[in-house]
Amino acid sequence: MNVLGFLRPSIINEVPENHFAVVHPLDDVVEKKVETSTLGSMPMTVSVKLSLMALRGYLILMMLLVLYHVLDLAGVPVQQGH
Amino acid sequence: MQMEVLSISATGVAATPPPVRGRVVRSKWLYSVLTFLMVFGPGLIVMEADNDAGAVSTYVQAGAQYGTKLLWLLLLLLPVTYFIQEMVVRLGIATGKGHAAMIYQRFGKWWGLFSLVDLQLVNFLTLVTEFAAIALALSHMNITPKVGVPVAAVGLVFMVLTGSYRRWERITVVLCLLDIAWLVIAFKLHPGLGEVLHDTFIPSVPAGGMTAGLVFLVIAIVGTTIAPWQLFFQQSCIADKRLRFADLKWSRLDTFLGAVFTIVVAGCMMIAGNAARVHGVQFSDPAQMANDLRWFSGEAIRSGILLLMINAAVLGTTAISLSGAWAYGEVKGWPHSLEMPVSKAKGFYTTYLVCVALAAAIVLIPGAPLQLIIIGVQVLAGIMLPSAIIFLQLLLNDKEVLGEQFVNRRWNNWVNWTIIITMFVLSLVLAAQVVAPNLFPHI
Repeated sequence: MNVLGFLRPSIINEVPENHFAVVHPLDDVVEKKVETSTLGSMPMTVSVKLSLMALRGYLILMMLLVLYHVLDLAGVPVQQGH
Repeated sequence: MQMEVLSISATGVAATPPPVRGRVVRSKWLYSVLTFLMVFGPGLIVMEADNDAGAVSTYVQAGAQYGTKLLWLLLLLLPVTYFIQEMVVRLGIATGKGHAAMIYQRFGKWWGLFSLVDLQLVNFLTLVTEFAAIALALSHMNITPKVGVPVAAVGLVFMVLTGSYRRWERITVVLCLLDIAWLVIAFKLHPGLGEVLHDTFIPSVPAGGMTAGLVFLVIAIVGTTIAPWQLFFQQSCIADKRLRFADLKWSRLDTFLGAVFTIVVAGCMMIAGNAARVHGVQFSDPAQMANDLRWFSGEAIRSGILLLMINAAVLGTTAISLSGAWAYGEVKGWPHSLEMPVSKAKGFYTTYLVCVALAAAIVLIPGAPLQLIIIGVQVLAGIMLPSAIIFLQLLLNDKEVLGEQFVNRRWNNWVNWTIIITMFVLSLVLAAQVVAPNLFPHI
């Protein structure tokens, strides 16, 4: 068996019975995926809305902490207990 | 929802397949092995690239402070990293789109923009730390960073400019596999096998108890092992590679093997740190540790660790830069594929180039505030990771997108919400501690 010939892909026109075609995804026929561009925004259930609200709260808290740190680095007296 | 499978490899045997390039084999076993090897790549790369310069520093520090006592934590993180990235695999294969695009489409512009800006910012700061590590390792090898860093940056740019996803993937997989050398280094440093196995499978708190230092090192290890860019990177990578529905099981295996390899390599880094502790070597960074270890372990260990540091930074840089370039291309609607030549995806390649070049340039500026940048990376990653996982969790429960076949099962959701809540608590503590250390004087 010619190993190099085996490793080099060739055009497959027909797959004999009881044989298998091995095709790299980039060489394969483009597969039809889920069409998401027409779906629009996700319908928000109450739990999703609550999750996102919690997330916004978390992010606001973190931004305030970053601000606190920046002020601290800038020498603004934001702490009482030194 | 339509999930039509057109590829002949997806069904193995096709009645009237359209002509495509491939191989015909008779053995089912060989068919499975070859198909896996073709799908293999994104899972290994996303996991191993996370063992970047920052990770090397964190793991050897853990080994230097606590020996092998925290190896069990890595074992615990193995299923966590796999569960998170497996969700990304499903989403990527089902939609054929990147993570940033999905957030934009399903959660609107505010969240889409926030995710993108946050990703780019934390990615860029991380890139600076990667180049800082390259400069550090090179200076220990008597190569001036003014020459070495630009050379590394140029090499990183050329890696992606070939117009072939496969070429980039092959180069990157080889770089990932070079990390096998960590196993050799760990073996050469003669760790006690019984101790390593004991500390891996039996969780224990190191001598000294739950100190503040230990708590934050544990948080740092968790934050190092799971990073926000990984979600964006693997989904975009899967989309660019055009993985098919039938590739899902192989992509899962790729991700699992990548996770196992990464955790094993991370454990070897801890063992290297442990060797420094045993020999009483004091160090502030892995390059200095490698330098001092040579007196006990030889020149080969020193050179090996320094080269692996550079390899870790190179891997981290290419993966992180690509995650940003893909995400930006998806949101902007630009062509964004490694399969495209530069002339057809200028925005995509320019984003990659600008990220790499700017990060390299900042490292070469004398007196650049690298320590502040490292702190910034920790804070922003801490902010971003839990929110990124929440969007992932919501998308994986989106039946309009995934249908019944790919949507999360009930047990998936229980596991993932547990991970999310834990991540939230850990990242909140870490970020708050980094931002305002005096808020926690008595932890």
